[in-house]
Amino acid sequence: MISFSLRNLKLFFKDRAAVFFSLLAVFILIGLYALFLGDVWTDSFPDVPNVRGLMDTWMVAGLLAVTSVTTTMGAYGIMVDDKSKKIERDFIASPVKRSSLLGGYMINAVVVGILMSLVTLLLAEIYLLAGGASLPSPAVLFKTLGLILLSVIANSAMVLFLVSFFQSANAFATASTIIGTLIGFLTGIYLPVGALPEAVQLIIKCFPVSHAAVLLRQVLMEQPMETAFSGAPAETKAAFEEFLGVTYRFGGTTLSSLASMAILLGTAVLFYALSLLVLSRRKIRT
Amino acid sequence: MQEKILETAGLRKAYGNVEAVRGLDFYVEPGQLFAFLGPNGAGKSTTIDILTTLREPDAGETIIDGCRLGAENDRIRGILGAVFQEGVLDGLLSVEDNLKIRGSFYSMHGKALDAAVARAAKITGIEELLKHPYGKLSGGQKRRCDIARALIHTPKLLFLDEPTTGLDPQTRRMIWQTIGDIRRESGMTVFFSTHYMEEAAAADYVVVIDHGKISAKGTPSEFKERYSKDRLILCARQPEVLLSQLKKRGLPAKRTADTVEIELSSTLAALPILDLCRDEISGVEILKGTMDDAFLAVTGKELRE
Repeated sequence: MISFSLRNLKLFFKDRAAVFFSLLAVFILIGLYALFLGDVWTDSFPDVPNVRGLMDTWMVAGLLAVTSVTTTMGAYGIMVDDKSKKIERDFIASPVKRSSLLGGYMINAVVVGILMSLVTLLLAEIYLLAGGASLPSPAVLFKTLGLILLSVIANSAMVLFLVSFFQSANAFATASTIIGTLIGFLTGIYLPVGALPEAVQLIIKCFPVSHAAVLLRQVLMEQPMETAFSGAPAETKAAFEEFLGVTYRFGGTTLSSLASMAILLGTAVLFYALSLLVLSRRKIRT
Repeated sequence: MQEKILETAGLRKAYGNVEAVRGLDFYVEPGQLFAFLGPNGAGKSTTIDILTTLREPDAGETIIDGCRLGAENDRIRGILGAVFQEGVLDGLLSVEDNLKIRGSFYSMHGKALDAAVARAAKITGIEELLKHPYGKLSGGQKRRCDIARALIHTPKLLFLDEPTTGLDPQTRRMIWQTIGDIRRESGMTVFFSTHYMEEAAAADYVVVIDHGKISAKGTPSEFKERYSKDRLILCARQPEVLLSQLKKRGLPAKRTADTVEIELSSTLAALPILDLCRDEISGVEILKGTMDDAFLAVTGKELRE
């Protein structure tokens, strides 16, 4: 299983196009943000001090959430490729357990997701530091790494479930592009969730990936929020947090971070179980 | 009589309404070079897929090296090697990485794995290609790497599904040399499918399959003996005269262009005929029966490419 995971890792990183496309949604978001989105949101809150720095961290949190989806999807592309190129036949004719093969694909996706998230975090921190932000404290960094791990595990489970239905590399590439584009809206990272109609808000709040964004925002934006709202009343701060999707409110109650973590863990368990069910029922194809 | 390494009886497989394999019975003896000959769509690949555990048959009993197919697939997978029609190695990785990864499927690690890779590379003559990415190699080089992959765990039984299809004649000869070397060194049983008759002619035993059924089986010489005849070709100044003369004697002669042709029961049967008409003929030629003739006689058609 380990050498099979290493094979998948090598294959992924040697395929430059796959690496690039797995980060495409990230590049699009950064591009949009640098071009105009950043300015739009900065101008919307003229009363908030250091709003640019605040919105920068908001963007980075969303970026990390999306990265964990698109890069694991890129990593699972190898599994679809093995199927469509009939390389899988060679595996099946060998005395290797199908569960170790599946394990090899899953380990690969998680490792790719973590590595790429770390690269994204590094680049994002460089961008933030260049914009005048201070270095994150070790505690923030530690929490962020933990959240990256949780979000990669949960999101790769959803991606695996999706991937288990694809047999052709072309269909999967098309689906990846569509999902990569939609994911930004579904996690509320292009537009703050509060700027959207109620119904759309509900969809976003129910989408598990967006809870990864929520948790990352809570950690990364804590310090900038303190600074920006130091003299303001608590309600103003709470309203702002809700608007940006730093906290989610369902009805009258605010969702705790623990609840969001539970949602991510539940997603992981549910979708790994569903994927195993789908994959174990699949007959051997051509 | 040695024990059979592979024996199958009543093998059947249908895809929906299409019956690809309709009841096959045959066996392979250890060390044999076994040819599975048939036109495209005859059911060769389906049969190989079943025997290499990739597909489940609808019916039939198969024993491979004492293990029952279907019930003991993992043990069977450990003793068979398979070269598929399409290359199954990773194009972006080096040949060596590919061989090591596949070797790890057979629980080989460390020094044992290195030794296995070196041995497979040596026997297939790909030592110089080990560091190259598989995807950048030529068709013939890829094929030899595919064979090296199939040999990584020194299988008892090697399956090759149309190993030379799509290769140029020179490369084809090289691949067969490699397979010959493997057999000489290890005495491995080799089961291959082909639609080239000259390749089947070099086998120890040939099974001809068409429309999912066996239409003939035997050794190549049995085939030639049974299904093809030697022919005596006579050139004459007056073919018509010669023809009527031979027919008068009750010989099955027929006219072809400006020659007269007689089917022979054996090559030496030509002598009395030649004696008979030595004054009429200006030239003579004896054509030996070939596998092509035999195949034509068995299937009633030429093999399709």
